[in-house]
Amino acid sequence: MEPNEPARPEGLDPVSLERLMQRTQGGDQVAYRELLAEVAQRMRRLVRRRAPWLKPEDTEDLVQDILLSLHRARASWDPERPFLPWMVAIARSRMADNARRYARRAAIDMAVMDLAETFCDVPANRHAENVVNLMSMQKAMDNLSPTERQAVELLRLRQMSLAEAAEASGSTVAAMKVAIHRAMRKMRKTLWKE
Amino acid sequence: MTGRKRDIEATEALIERLSRDAAPVHPLPHPARRAARWLVVALAFGAAMVWAMGPRPDLAERLVDARFLLEQGAALATGIAAAIAALAFTIPGTSPWLRMLPVAPGALWLSTLSLGCLRDWWQMGADALRITPDLACFGYIALIGSLPAVVLLWMLRRGVPIAPGWSIGLGALAAAGLGNFALRFFHMQDAALMVLVWQVGSVMLLALLASLCGHRLLRWPGRADAIG
Repeated sequence: MEPNEPARPEGLDPVSLERLMQRTQGGDQVAYRELLAEVAQRMRRLVRRRAPWLKPEDTEDLVQDILLSLHRARASWDPERPFLPWMVAIARSRMADNARRYARRAAIDMAVMDLAETFCDVPANRHAENVVNLMSMQKAMDNLSPTERQAVELLRLRQMSLAEAAEASGSTVAAMKVAIHRAMRKMRKTLWKE
Repeated sequence: MTGRKRDIEATEALIERLSRDAAPVHPLPHPARRAARWLVVALAFGAAMVWAMGPRPDLAERLVDARFLLEQGAALATGIAAAIAALAFTIPGTSPWLRMLPVAPGALWLSTLSLGCLRDWWQMGADALRITPDLACFGYIALIGSLPAVVLLWMLRRGVPIAPGWSIGLGALAAAGLGNFALRFFHMQDAALMVLVWQVGSVMLLALLASLCGHRLLRWPGRADAIG
């Protein structure tokens, strides 16, 4: 078990999971909480096994995505069918989506970092180009909300981790992830329009 | 507080929030039952369109022609099977057999038309293999398939976007297949090659175009939206 991971008894058997899911479909909040906790535990293991290269924060991010998807999809489970294949099919779909999103985000980050390097490291004889890039970057930053601008500053310019940035801004890791994702998307749009 | 612990606490907070939102849900019926409901709407709309366009004058004759009945039966079966498969693709963990359902009727449909081409050629020679423009087929099929497509899209959205391209592509195949089925009750075109090229071709083209839009039409809610 990872450090700081809450201690839980060994996983429930498939029949118990199916009973919990049936009660969940009936609107039982206690059963649902127990089911989600069990699913989170199993999905954490599944994600670590299938994508061992992910950072712990990205693994947890993916586990949260899977839980949100289960929530949205709970009417699609047929009580006469086993629960685990249904759950694993959702997890696989989310893992595939996450892989695509991760690659896209990495590409955006690379583009923004390339631009930052361009206006930081260019030789003096490319001063004019340097100024234009700086203005483009400034314009892209101007289109961001204060929260998004703060996320770019803490995570990209000061190179803080998500946890450090969340602590510095008095926000949460999840909110910082959303802010930086939105900020990068907006900046990419602005820069590509130029 | 470490980042790892903070992440796990965020997951626990999410579990709390989701469990408070655990309203009762009705499990979706089996894809075959849902497809049957869709079929009622699709056939009713198809029948209305045939009535509006006016049935072909030789319809009574065609209805006792084995080849016409076989081709129409295969087109209808392909449409129904595609609807079941499209709906099955939105249910995680369903049997792969259910998803392969349109393969057999689809193969039968193409085979009957291909054999029809050979028979036409045998009976009429090279004239039977002449292709003339019949672009109206595409418009009619798209028109007759429009309402069934919208209804099926609404039904697909109630499921899960496990394979959006397949779901939407098969949904379009179902709607266009039913459109083609209805079309032949008022459109006087029975030359097998013309049916194969302009009618089946239109159905396949619509299915292909729709499948390319699958990820736009069916997708998980964005994480940003979920966190709000």
